[in-house]
Amino acid sequence: MSGSSTNGPGENGPGEASFTALRGQLHEAATAFADGPDALEGILLGMVDDVDRAVREPLEIFPVCHHSPASALAMARRLREKQPKVVYLELCEDMAPLLGELRNCRLPVAVQAFASDIDGFPAEWAPLSVVAPVTEASAEYQAIAYALDTPGVELVLVDRSSDHVFQWDGRHGERTPQEASGPAAGSAEPEAALHGEAVGVEIGDLRPRFAELEEHLLRHGKVRHWSEWWHQYVEVPLGDSDHAAYRQVMFLIGSLFRRLAPGDGDRVRVDEDRERYMWTRIREHLASSGADPEDCLYVCGAFHAASRVEEFGVAGSGSYLISPRSATTWQHGLIPSSHAAIEAQFGLASGSVSIAATQWAKNLKRTRVQPFRLAGQDGARKPRASKRAAPAVPAAPEEAAADRLSGFLRRPPVLDTLDEAELLGWSVDIVRAARRSGYLASTADAIAVFETSILLAGMRDRAKPTPYDFQDAAITCIEKDAVPGRRDVRRLVEIMMGGDRIGRVGYDALPPLARDVHDRLAPLELRLQQRGVQRALLDMHSRPELGACSDVLWMLRRLMPHGAARPIMGERKLGERSIQESWDLALGTHQRALIELGYEGVSIEQVLEQRLRRDAYGPRATTAVVLASVEDATLYLRSRRLADELGHRALEVLAAERTVDGAPEVLRRVRGLLAYYRTGEPVLPPWVESFVKAGYAHYCTLLPTAFTDEDVTAGQVAAMLGFLFSMESLALSLGCDRAQLELAVAQSRPTDPERTALLWAAQVQLGALSRAELRERCGELLANPMVVPAYPRYLSGFVHALVPVPGLADVVVEAVSNAFARLPDPVLLPWLPTLITTLRAGAADLAPLLVREAGRIFPARLAALDTWVPPWHEVPEPDASAAGRAEAADGGCRGAALLFAHPGTLDVVAGLLGCDGTWAAPDADAAGPALSARHPDTATAWESLLTSS
Amino acid sequence: MSDVLRAPAEAKYAEELDWLESIDDSPKPFSWRLSPKMVRLFILGSERADGLDREISQKWFGDRSFVERSIVTLASDRGLLLIGDPGTGKSWLAELLSAAISRNSTLVVQGTAGTTEDHIKYSWNVSMVIAKGQSRESMIPSPIMTAMETGAIGRFEELTRSTSDVQDALISILSEKYISVPELQSDGTDAGDNIVFAKPGFSVIATANSRDRGVNDLSSALKRRFNFVRIPVVTNKKSEAEIVRFRTEELLRRHAIDLDVPPTLLDVLLQSFADLRASAAAAGSDDEKLESALSTAEQIGVLEDAVLHSNFFGESTLTARTLASSLVGSLARRDPEDLAIFNKYLHGVVEPRSKQEGGSWPEFLDGGRDTIATLS
Repeated sequence: MSGSSTNGPGENGPGEASFTALRGQLHEAATAFADGPDALEGILLGMVDDVDRAVREPLEIFPVCHHSPASALAMARRLREKQPKVVYLELCEDMAPLLGELRNCRLPVAVQAFASDIDGFPAEWAPLSVVAPVTEASAEYQAIAYALDTPGVELVLVDRSSDHVFQWDGRHGERTPQEASGPAAGSAEPEAALHGEAVGVEIGDLRPRFAELEEHLLRHGKVRHWSEWWHQYVEVPLGDSDHAAYRQVMFLIGSLFRRLAPGDGDRVRVDEDRERYMWTRIREHLASSGADPEDCLYVCGAFHAASRVEEFGVAGSGSYLISPRSATTWQHGLIPSSHAAIEAQFGLASGSVSIAATQWAKNLKRTRVQPFRLAGQDGARKPRASKRAAPAVPAAPEEAAADRLSGFLRRPPVLDTLDEAELLGWSVDIVRAARRSGYLASTADAIAVFETSILLAGMRDRAKPTPYDFQDAAITCIEKDAVPGRRDVRRLVEIMMGGDRIGRVGYDALPPLARDVHDRLAPLELRLQQRGVQRALLDMHSRPELGACSDVLWMLRRLMPHGAARPIMGERKLGERSIQESWDLALGTHQRALIELGYEGVSIEQVLEQRLRRDAYGPRATTAVVLASVEDATLYLRSRRLADELGHRALEVLAAERTVDGAPEVLRRVRGLLAYYRTGEPVLPPWVESFVKAGYAHYCTLLPTAFTDEDVTAGQVAAMLGFLFSMESLALSLGCDRAQLELAVAQSRPTDPERTALLWAAQVQLGALSRAELRERCGELLANPMVVPAYPRYLSGFVHALVPVPGLADVVVEAVSNAFARLPDPVLLPWLPTLITTLRAGAADLAPLLVREAGRIFPARLAALDTWVPPWHEVPEPDASAAGRAEAADGGCRGAALLFAHPGTLDVVAGLLGCDGTWAAPDADAAGPALSARHPDTATAWESLLTSS
Repeated sequence: MSDVLRAPAEAKYAEELDWLESIDDSPKPFSWRLSPKMVRLFILGSERADGLDREISQKWFGDRSFVERSIVTLASDRGLLLIGDPGTGKSWLAELLSAAISRNSTLVVQGTAGTTEDHIKYSWNVSMVIAKGQSRESMIPSPIMTAMETGAIGRFEELTRSTSDVQDALISILSEKYISVPELQSDGTDAGDNIVFAKPGFSVIATANSRDRGVNDLSSALKRRFNFVRIPVVTNKKSEAEIVRFRTEELLRRHAIDLDVPPTLLDVLLQSFADLRASAAAAGSDDEKLESALSTAEQIGVLEDAVLHSNFFGESTLTARTLASSLVGSLARRDPEDLAIFNKYLHGVVEPRSKQEGGSWPEFLDGGRDTIATLS
């Protein structure tokens, strides 16, 4: 395999010569170390072939690794040197239109493709979401900034579209998007969940795909995790190397991982498909635009640069057919991201992205390379010099293929010189930070941290402590047996090294809905784009224009996750309106949720309407759910049209329903809506009338089965009865027949005590049973020792019966009192918790009713209790005085009878007022108008007044 | 077989340490016998990439960074406090460190409720004091004082078991690095006679049990003078297997027992401990979990018991039956509770597994049942 190259001998003259020496050395090494030279030699020489091939490709390939400051630096340098006309970038091609909006954001943000209406994928995958985070310290941002801000330069995204991400994911049927998505959702830090459930795509994913290889590298590198390995063995040595060396080393690493440990077959297949896709797109673009490959730059992960697919290269075969996208509609936007979210999504060590950002800033200062920044980039410092001022150094293409690898591989590890001042600064800072979070740290600790860092670095063969060594040293010296505050030393170091940076999507880059929300909330005069909770006070009494803000806030509360908008004071209920409200708003913190809302529509009203409709017309919609939608439509949208439409839908759902599970909820909602329409509208909406009619018939039909069905609870039966009794008058006026209800009750033959009690209550309400009979039945139950154990369950039934028949409260109080008086303890005590829970569940309705009734019946003071006889024990005897009064009232003058019975009072009053009148005998014949006959003046005055007008 | 039941690490690995010292050309701090890198190599073992002529075995199993941080602490002027659950290998690490650094791991003070300040500083040989009066000859130096005088590593085991006043005696030793002996007169000519100064290389390794937290809490002044290294419980099955194998081999060598521990039985032991730990984690009250901490050290104890039993009373082969009987025998400490847990474990977990997987499990199940029957 040595010396054999895929390219023809004519075009690779200098390259062939340049790598010959390295090949020879590797060949010798392979024979020396391995018993059978084939495998090892194949891998080693194959790697050189890969590098050779990639270097010789006429279209310059720029290999990158994600979150590598060295890549970003090399990219900035190369762009200034080469000034390419076209930049091909490994990023989902459908994300291109959004990149210009990056300038309005504070990085890191993520480009998102989102689809909620999916077509062509399994329905349970919805919603689909792909994110590509962009940080400032990345090579791709350099390329984007250069291409967008340099006139005449074209940026072409060539990777598969978001749609293909899922197409290819599902094609092999093994990984669902849920599995592929980052572990962010369960992470402890809230910032880590910024990407939600999205699938992450990233440029330059470069990491061994083979756990054993990674473990081996870590062990021999004496480092703890992959980010540290990369930092020490690639990042630092590559820091100041020139373009050719950078490229060759990156090609080599890409090839090494690819040849040694390609990972599982599916993943390799997807990778190779992506490479075919990208090269096919590049060739298409080259053909259509006529660009010279010499003027172009292809930015891709080092892994893909070492590709061996046939389509590789400008001259590769063009047989690959790109499959069409599915019919899914994709929405695109930018969402805020954070270093922690990126680390969580891509399994990087905690703090590594922040350390990369710090390293990038340091490299810039040290090398004085002028980075590219999008003009007007939010959150960035103003560039000191114009970008045009940077001199364009012409590239030296003849050197590109020269062997720079041998030197790099033979060189001992590059030791960064010790930057004592920097380390001192870190040591002092960490002690200060530790003190602030409650540690007993002092200057002595700063000295110890400094010393320990150097010792640790020396032990790990590093001349200069890396941030990771420093972190270990700080933990050793400062962390004791317990963490005093919220953060431990490890976290404090992470924060100190740059900490988590959370991006923000600027106003101009927001979708129309989010902009609209911010515009409409502008009267609140709060900076809602900022993260954190802000308190909004709305006094609609003095500033009526804030009413519109209140509407928006209530809708946001309905649509956004908990905590985005939380009312502290004020509520919105049917028929109520608050004068003052106060809110805790955290729209900046929940920016992603607001942006994703923007994918659903252009205004929150539209989104809410869609959601309400979706709820109401969904396959699992129940009558209660649809009625809730009606209520929401009335409350938040004030849309009579939508409420009517959904109301008709409720009618349909009710007609199709065969269970009574939602009866209590339906009753509550209908009562509320009915009360609202009765007070606010001249006539009831037609759907309400139909609903009451249909509901009356529906529940009448289901009543006999509900009374016997074991799955139906007493509460549900009570709610059905409640609907029937409380809507009865309306239903009868609309043409329902009471006989239907009477028949239904007559057909009901419950067997269990609770529902039997309910039936009795219903019969009392309908007049089929008198109260005396009911009392008698209760008395019989208590007297029968065989039934006594079941008595409490009858009582539970009576308590439920207060919902449909509130007039029965006195009987219930009597029954409960009797139970307490006469039930034996072993029966009574176990039932008490049931009573309490039943009362609690219906606390709002039942308890006040019972308490009021009990207050009326029982004596108010303790002393009175001794002589008190419960009213139901009193023997009803004909009351003489009452009978006499009745007689007097009937026989005597109506109303004035009392005056004649007790004339003394009036005489005294008359004496006080100085009147000395005499008593006239009551005139039995003259009723009412006697007074007008006696004093006619008033009447005549009235007459003249009325006739004159 | 040597005539010492358990030789200290520096004697046991004397030859290895000599060899390492002979090839060590890196700078050594103070009076250290090995450079920090060699100390690490001695403890964590060598790899092919180290390019050594002979293989150095791994003696302590755990994260590399713990060892590095410990060594670096000893090279600084702070003491080292190893803190962790019982049975995590704290004392073993301390012994290895002092053996490698100063070739003497026996300068140990054992912290107990009865430890006094004399144990840390010095005491007097009463008969000599009566005969000759108080002098350096009649003084009995503590292990810590000896370490100071020789520039070696002193060890303090179970620091948190001793009372606060005793602990605080360490403060001045760790910060001033000398002990003054007020009973001795300073005659002006020999100014240092009543003060014992520490030689370079002196440091202290203390261990503390994290389960004892709150019994005698360290004062913050003492905390400041120690760097804490927390040793976690080994939960990685692979490294736990390595530890058990390593310690058992050592044990068999010590007892001069020629017996094979079949790898399948080792798996059975590891699996049963993993199961019992999982059930202890899920238990709601103390009655529902075993009293034992189920540490790696307990695991070694169970295996040791089984090995000894089969060597002296069995057929000189370790069987699953013996292993089960040792497991139940050594871990069941409370009569109804622990036995009930084992009964539940055997019937709920082992029985289905023995039907499914076979192997050594059915025999293990029988052995366990028999032992429970005997014990209850």
